[in-house]
Amino acid sequence: MPGDALVRHVVTFGRVLHEAGLEVGPGRVQDALCGLDAVELTSQDDVYWTLRQTLVSRHDELDLFDRAFRAWFLRSPVVPPLRGVPVRQARPESLERSGPGADDRSESADGRSIVLGASTREILREKDFAEMTPDEFQRAKQLVAAIAQARPRRTSRRRYPDPRGEVLDIRRLVRRSLRTGGDPVDRPFRARKSVPRKLVLLCDVSGSMALYTRALLLFLHAAVGSGRGVEAFAFGTRLSRLTPDLSRRDPEAGLDRATAAAVDWGSGTRIGASVKELNDVYGRRALTRGAVVVVLSDGWEREDCVLLGREMARLQRAAYAVIWVNPIKGSPDYQPLAGGMQAALPFVDRFLPGHNLRSLEELAAVLAGIERRRAA
Amino acid sequence: MRFRTIDELEDALREAEYLPDRGLSTALFLSLALEKPLLLEGEAGVGKTEAAKALAAALEAHLIRLQCYEGLDVAHAVYEWNYPRQLLHIRAAQEGTVSEAELFGPDFLIRRPLLEAIDSDGPVVLLIDELDRADEEFEAFLLEILSDFQITIPEIGTIKARRRPAVVVTSNRTRDLHDALKRRTLYHWIGHPGMERELEIVKLRVPGVPERLAAEAAAFVRGLRGLELAKPPGVAETIDWAHALAALGRQELDAEVVEQTLGSVLKYREDIEAVRDVALARLVEEARATARS
Repeated sequence: MPGDALVRHVVTFGRVLHEAGLEVGPGRVQDALCGLDAVELTSQDDVYWTLRQTLVSRHDELDLFDRAFRAWFLRSPVVPPLRGVPVRQARPESLERSGPGADDRSESADGRSIVLGASTREILREKDFAEMTPDEFQRAKQLVAAIAQARPRRTSRRRYPDPRGEVLDIRRLVRRSLRTGGDPVDRPFRARKSVPRKLVLLCDVSGSMALYTRALLLFLHAAVGSGRGVEAFAFGTRLSRLTPDLSRRDPEAGLDRATAAAVDWGSGTRIGASVKELNDVYGRRALTRGAVVVVLSDGWEREDCVLLGREMARLQRAAYAVIWVNPIKGSPDYQPLAGGMQAALPFVDRFLPGHNLRSLEELAAVLAGIERRRAA
Repeated sequence: MRFRTIDELEDALREAEYLPDRGLSTALFLSLALEKPLLLEGEAGVGKTEAAKALAAALEAHLIRLQCYEGLDVAHAVYEWNYPRQLLHIRAAQEGTVSEAELFGPDFLIRRPLLEAIDSDGPVVLLIDELDRADEEFEAFLLEILSDFQITIPEIGTIKARRRPAVVVTSNRTRDLHDALKRRTLYHWIGHPGMERELEIVKLRVPGVPERLAAEAAAFVRGLRGLELAKPPGVAETIDWAHALAALGRQELDAEVVEQTLGSVLKYREDIEAVRDVALARLVEEARATARS
């Protein structure tokens, strides 16, 4: 084992990383110490790589690690880490306005006391999110969570025992025919099971969507909680991945940070650039391949409609199906006049409204039964 | 362990025609020293699989590769019984009796990669390739194997590794791997190589390629990576391309030959069009200038 001073140094460094948001447990620190024992401590390079390979386990954490390493071991001026920066002043308007502060604390209380008459529920279902009172919104919250459980499905490549299956289960067949002297009297079958299909949700959090983002983000939160294979993003002027923040039980603080990261206040929505980022960064990792992708946006592209069309085409080629949910479509005299909406529509498989609970139910029904309408 | 220092391992890898950067050789060295599996991630074509092959060569070990895919199960990854033979055996022994112990003994066992790696006498490098393609059920199962290096076959018993295989796991990040698995592995991200190292790699892997051509090709590919492409080329593409250029008998790069052979470097129609229409002439010029300096 390395000397005491070094051990303390590394343990403290581990704690610094942990504070900064990396998942550094005692096991990793132990690995780091064993690793340092095996390499040349005089070589800064080798120490760097050893610590990085033992303490970091995700590509997104590399940048944070590098900064911490520079600050800690090389004594360079500290650049504030990404996480833990208070961004409350940059809260999206919608999150601020509805039910200030009341939501988190009263959540458990709500759980007990919700008793809705059939007719009140009916009215609530039809009510536009933009017109809901904070109280109504609280009640809608639970319904949104229930609705978001719907997941698109696909057939798994893996086969499970199933008497109605189409393929003989040879393994069990042989096992059973031992009893009958090698005659396959009993014939077990296997079939492919249906498993959840990947679901990617992209929510527009720019100013023009302010009245709807809060409800839609609730939908995203519940969808991410419905099981693995759901990815959520927010976009405004750029793309920001929400999945890690939404995976927590109480996502509000993380949501504020992530949505704030997606929007530069005062500049317009860049849907095309955001979809391009999704294609470039996440599409390359096949995150969107074979997935059902849902874009929740009013389609107000402020910059480049041609780019939006091109990137939607790319997205549609990779995805199993693309759904566009537009809250403005709920209005009876809606026409897709926004330039971005017109550019995107040719590459959208289903176009739905998303302004009230009923329209989210419709979205859930579409998700549960969606099939590809185009040739693969 | 065979190698006492990172430098020794690096030399052995070079001898196996693989040029690692310091980060990768440290990762491989630590994986051997700490007897922990190494998780390699990086863009397609940066040499993740090649690294495992080179490690096997450096260790003079047997490389056992498990290619992952969705639906991969125990029967294809660990072991399976040879059913046709078992049935024949039952038939042949119709008159006598066949004991279950005989039928489910080593004679009828088909050994798949994971069992082979655990139950091996010589040194082994186990490559679990593209684990992100397998489903989570398999990942959970693999976790068990990677924590105690033993496999239980109900009919035979528990087989424990006599020596731990070196394990390299690769992933293209189509999904996040489970945290439990990450806790048990060292992690290294392989990036695109620097200009000089890429040139070295090309010269090593494409014997007889003219120096000037190799340098220009490496510089050109580096330029491509600076553009916003759907799929920036990896080292594997640079090597393919250098092969193609050398086969055409070229000594240096010009716009015409680049246009003819762009398909070996770029694999998307949009990328090829974007480069051909906009950046090609400029990139060729820059590559020639870089290679000269």
